[in-house]
Amino acid sequence: MIIQFNKLLPSRGIFGLSVLMLASCTAGDGTGLDAGGRPITPGPPANNDFQQIQATIFTPSCTGCHAGANAPQGLRLDAGNSYALLVNVASSEVPSLLRVNPGNPDNSYLVRKIQGNASVGARMPLGGPPLTQAQIDLVRGWIAAGAPSSAAPVDQLRVASTIPAATEQAAAGLSKVTVIFNNDVDSSLVSSNSFELRDASDRLVKAEMRVPAGRQNVVELITPQPLAAGSYQLSVLGDGPAPLADEGGRVLDGDADGKPGGDLLIPFDVKEEGSFR
Amino acid sequence: MNGVKNLVRLTAALALFAAAGAVQAEPYLAAQMGLKCAQCHVNPTGGGMRTVFGNTYAQTTLAARRLGGEEDLWTGQVMKFLSVGGNARANFNYTDVPNQDTTNEFAVEEARAYLDFGVIPNRLSVYIDQRFAPGSATNLEANIRYWITENSIYVKAGRMYLPFGYRFEDDNAFVRQLSGINMQAPDEGVEFGFETGAWSTQFALSNGTAGAPEADEGKQISARTEYAASVWRVGVSALSNDTDAGDRFGAGLFGAYRLGPVTLLGEVDYFDDDSIGTGGRKLMGSLVEADWKVLQGHNLKLTYEWLEPDDDVDEDEQTRTSVLYEWSPIQFVQLRGGVRFYDGIPQNDQQNRTQAFLQLHGFF
Repeated sequence: MIIQFNKLLPSRGIFGLSVLMLASCTAGDGTGLDAGGRPITPGPPANNDFQQIQATIFTPSCTGCHAGANAPQGLRLDAGNSYALLVNVASSEVPSLLRVNPGNPDNSYLVRKIQGNASVGARMPLGGPPLTQAQIDLVRGWIAAGAPSSAAPVDQLRVASTIPAATEQAAAGLSKVTVIFNNDVDSSLVSSNSFELRDASDRLVKAEMRVPAGRQNVVELITPQPLAAGSYQLSVLGDGPAPLADEGGRVLDGDADGKPGGDLLIPFDVKEEGSFR
Repeated sequence: MNGVKNLVRLTAALALFAAAGAVQAEPYLAAQMGLKCAQCHVNPTGGGMRTVFGNTYAQTTLAARRLGGEEDLWTGQVMKFLSVGGNARANFNYTDVPNQDTTNEFAVEEARAYLDFGVIPNRLSVYIDQRFAPGSATNLEANIRYWITENSIYVKAGRMYLPFGYRFEDDNAFVRQLSGINMQAPDEGVEFGFETGAWSTQFALSNGTAGAPEADEGKQISARTEYAASVWRVGVSALSNDTDAGDRFGAGLFGAYRLGPVTLLGEVDYFDDDSIGTGGRKLMGSLVEADWKVLQGHNLKLTYEWLEPDDDVDEDEQTRTSVLYEWSPIQFVQLRGGVRFYDGIPQNDQQNRTQAFLQLHGFF
């Protein structure tokens, strides 16, 4: 049987009615919903920067596209997935950048993407208005503070990330190594008993250690001269006579075995001047 | 006298729609002409590089007038086995978000180049779609297309835009957001196509990761079929993505109808997505569009869109209304301007913004 599709031509009336039906759908009035369009549920308010970023930026502005299995570049920004897919995860568009590089907002793909830096493609939100400077500053501040997932008390003091990261090849001229913790550290314990920087010959490299003002979860090791090209190892010590601890007295869990104590070893290289990867 | 009337008509339209965004709903051109997408694009699902017919149409029919002589007709074929094409869009954008300062900016929306190596003419092609701006160069399509039988059955493999609904180039259209299939998120896989008579059918099997590396064993199936008569057309789409994060199923209905100088398009999509939230969501989106060919080279476009982000939640729907004017004074050049009104829940300022744009669009 041959189907005569032209005989099935819909009348103008039917087509017009369909158009009218589609056009009659209107916007919701938002009753009982939060800014993200989700039903308001009783619960504690956002208690740290990340929760605030989720509630005021990701959920209302990003999850229209960045949600579910077909989220662009696999980046799901809904509340259940955003942190795990952002922090210390390489960007799929620019793999040399981490989406969120804790402690390093300028080298975070997320920041470049919302700022509109030309090196990372189209600014986000795509096709929408740019985020306000206050929103961008909130994201930058959260990353600069080490991108903590929660402000709630932690059971153990751990290293969240370091700059340079483990096995990273840092650019020539490096004179600062940054260690970011998951909680504020007891600055009186920041000393050569808790941090060691050694070169490839296992010689101790002299460095001043400091906790930057207002960033109690960060320790910086400043060398008097830029580090020469070569291999280095940073040790953050959870064992020894005066191991590092947080302000609650919890000793560093350096080996991440869930118990206080243990050292964290971070090997990295410094490239030669003018060298390329 | 007619010239004065036309000038007044155009001035009034531009005044109304003065001032960013991107609106590229080219399917109306196919519906207006009663043709299939494959008539004007080397990609049978539309978009990207134009065929010899598509380039000729742009020079002789789309534009208000044509500069140059017959010998200057651009076909895209720069060598016997190589065709090139491209798109560049430079915008001036204006955005007004409630409770925020208004913003305006000049921006390069995109600059793309297309290469099609017709290694075996009309049978085997290697196709590349590379975006050069904004940002660093990004490959969006790279595939091999083989016509098993000339102009009727093909197989395509590599990176590609997937078949689903109408391929509006406005990636911010609600129906494009909903499906996640747009010109920003190609996928890698294989597509089979059938172009027979008035029918155009595609079936694709892909990673289902929207450009990200594959993370599980599940794959995505997407398909569309359309029947294009001279005055009307109708089609259906379906999508199923099996992922560890949850299964996702979608279906859509789309069509167009030509009423003299006015072409109407519509699309309705429904998705049942278990990969969102804790219990999954059911989402719907629709678009209606009217394109009025005011004069040769002049098009007035009106669109109305509706989005239901979660069928289980009341009063969360959003709409978007767009009005724009496209003027093609000469071949391969468009001046476009428009305004979009977003309407959503009052507690979300972004959902209630107004955006406007002026755009210079060059293509070949």
